[in-house]
Amino acid sequence: MDNIYTPYLMNISDVTDEAPGVRTFRLNFQNEDEGKNFKFQAGQFALYSAFGYGESTFCIASSPTRKDYVECTFRQAGRVTNALSELNAGDTIGFRGPYGNVFPIEEWEGKNLVFVAGGIALPPLRSVIWNCLDLRDKYKNITIVYGAKTVADLVYKNELKEWTARDDVNLVTTVDPGGETPDWTGKVGFVPTVVEETAPDSKDTIAIVCGPPIMIKFTLPVLEKLGFKQDKVYTTLENRMKCGLGKCGRCNIGCTYICKEGPVFTAEEISKMPDEF
Amino acid sequence: MEKTLKKEKLNSLITGLKDKGYKTIAPKKDNNLITLCEIQEADEIHFDHVQTNNSIKEYFLPKTEKILSYTIEKTKVSIEEPEGFAVKSVVFGSRPCDAASLPIMDKVFNWDCTDKFWIERREAITIVTIACDKCDSYCFCTSVCLAPDAKQGSDVLLTKISDDEYLVETETEKGEGLIKELETVFSEPPSGTPDRQVATVEKKFEIDKVKPWLDENFVHKIWAEFSTKCIGCGACTFVCPTCHCFDIVDECTMSKGDRVKNWDGCQFKMFTLHTSGHNPRSTQDQRWRQRIMHKFKYYVEKFDNILCVGCGRCSRVCPADMNISEMLEIISTDEGQPEPVSKE
Repeated sequence: MDNIYTPYLMNISDVTDEAPGVRTFRLNFQNEDEGKNFKFQAGQFALYSAFGYGESTFCIASSPTRKDYVECTFRQAGRVTNALSELNAGDTIGFRGPYGNVFPIEEWEGKNLVFVAGGIALPPLRSVIWNCLDLRDKYKNITIVYGAKTVADLVYKNELKEWTARDDVNLVTTVDPGGETPDWTGKVGFVPTVVEETAPDSKDTIAIVCGPPIMIKFTLPVLEKLGFKQDKVYTTLENRMKCGLGKCGRCNIGCTYICKEGPVFTAEEISKMPDEF
Repeated sequence: MEKTLKKEKLNSLITGLKDKGYKTIAPKKDNNLITLCEIQEADEIHFDHVQTNNSIKEYFLPKTEKILSYTIEKTKVSIEEPEGFAVKSVVFGSRPCDAASLPIMDKVFNWDCTDKFWIERREAITIVTIACDKCDSYCFCTSVCLAPDAKQGSDVLLTKISDDEYLVETETEKGEGLIKELETVFSEPPSGTPDRQVATVEKKFEIDKVKPWLDENFVHKIWAEFSTKCIGCGACTFVCPTCHCFDIVDECTMSKGDRVKNWDGCQFKMFTLHTSGHNPRSTQDQRWRQRIMHKFKYYVEKFDNILCVGCGRCSRVCPADMNISEMLEIISTDEGQPEPVSKE
């Protein structure tokens, strides 16, 4: 019988420093057959292991349309992420996944999309953003509102430039007051305020929001005020996880296991959960 | 299949099991504690007790177990799968409540994908239960739809019918196979109706009233009131036969390591602590509520089973004298309007 806790072995083929303490790994399967059979969809997550230190949970940050590799972006914060950040291109890491549910991007076809992300929460949305951009014809207007504390804290700086240059994407970047630099050309202000100023009409529009709890808390009412119905607003949740498979018993909010029934939820689904975020 | 087992035949039974290649686990008195542990001789088995201090759980979900090993060599890692963890064994003399916990937990360990460490042990281990002929004030199996002679989860059920004789009833094919393997040890069933010596366990609360109350009262002052004395030691979760939460950690030297699964518990602050410092269950009343909700609401909704068998261990070991059946009694008799407290 297969061991559900055994990770795939993957090579780190590329390392990118995104922001202070934030790094992206590009990963390739060591076993080619495993790589060929591997499939995932935007929104899913995985457990990444630094052997000798343990496993840590993050979303898959690359798009399923880019089939040759998997990417993850993480902030150095605890034991495992510090150990991961010690690894270099050519080193081996463990990868267990994909787990969880997905963004229903087929249901969104023919609609406008507005992505709202704060800080280190752009990586979970990057997968679905690129997925939709790679299928650009299927969607109408695409708006991305992205904010961070400071200019230095913005992740994927090259991709932000790429999205700015594209005329089929409307990117709005913002930093918290005091986080701007003299040459900063984006907005200064908190994400909820900027969303209120820049979000497109809610008609025929899906909003996808991810960020720290405080940002979500203040952004959802703004979207509601702009006329977004709760079932048209999506987010992805995270909780501490160990197995990712619904067995270790800690990631639940009420009856809902984030690892199995999530991590993607609509605002409507979240409104029905008990207040234990 | 029905048989009887005379106490004088116990020696032959335990020797027989050994000869057939079974490891035997049974209650044994050790330093004044009655513990389910491996035994070699029939003399070691202890009978005259209400409950063992440890539950049957650790023979299926060990306190700590290796789920994989690895060797790190420069940039390469090789993984080795653990083998031989499921040892052909018989648990002899566990209580019906412990046995009943196993099919309940099969559901979570089989949820969508199978945890082979649990399932392969389930296949390798045969459960021979002895029905309870006595109980104490902590027992509440009858309040959670079980009984001192419940059959759920047992392969063979023994019931005392006289001071030196047990009635033997097989409940599964596996149990029947075991009895057939050791046929000479058992006698023919008694003629007439045997006098089953089974304890009377008082019913403490109406289980049907518990979930409807929980459905309405996620926010209620009772959670804080009842859990004020909880010190968060987690002993309740460790002795519980149905608490199955675990942690996964790496234990490693320079180049070799094991990934291990360790018991964990929802009563610990660290259990849900995010790396950012945020904790969705930051206070003890939230963690106590999680324990009750998981057992009597969430698990019921997911798997159609209460995650509690009424063994009473959690209340027996609690250093702060918290009693889960008292809590459930309060809940099931609460007729009043919910008195919500606002969350800060």
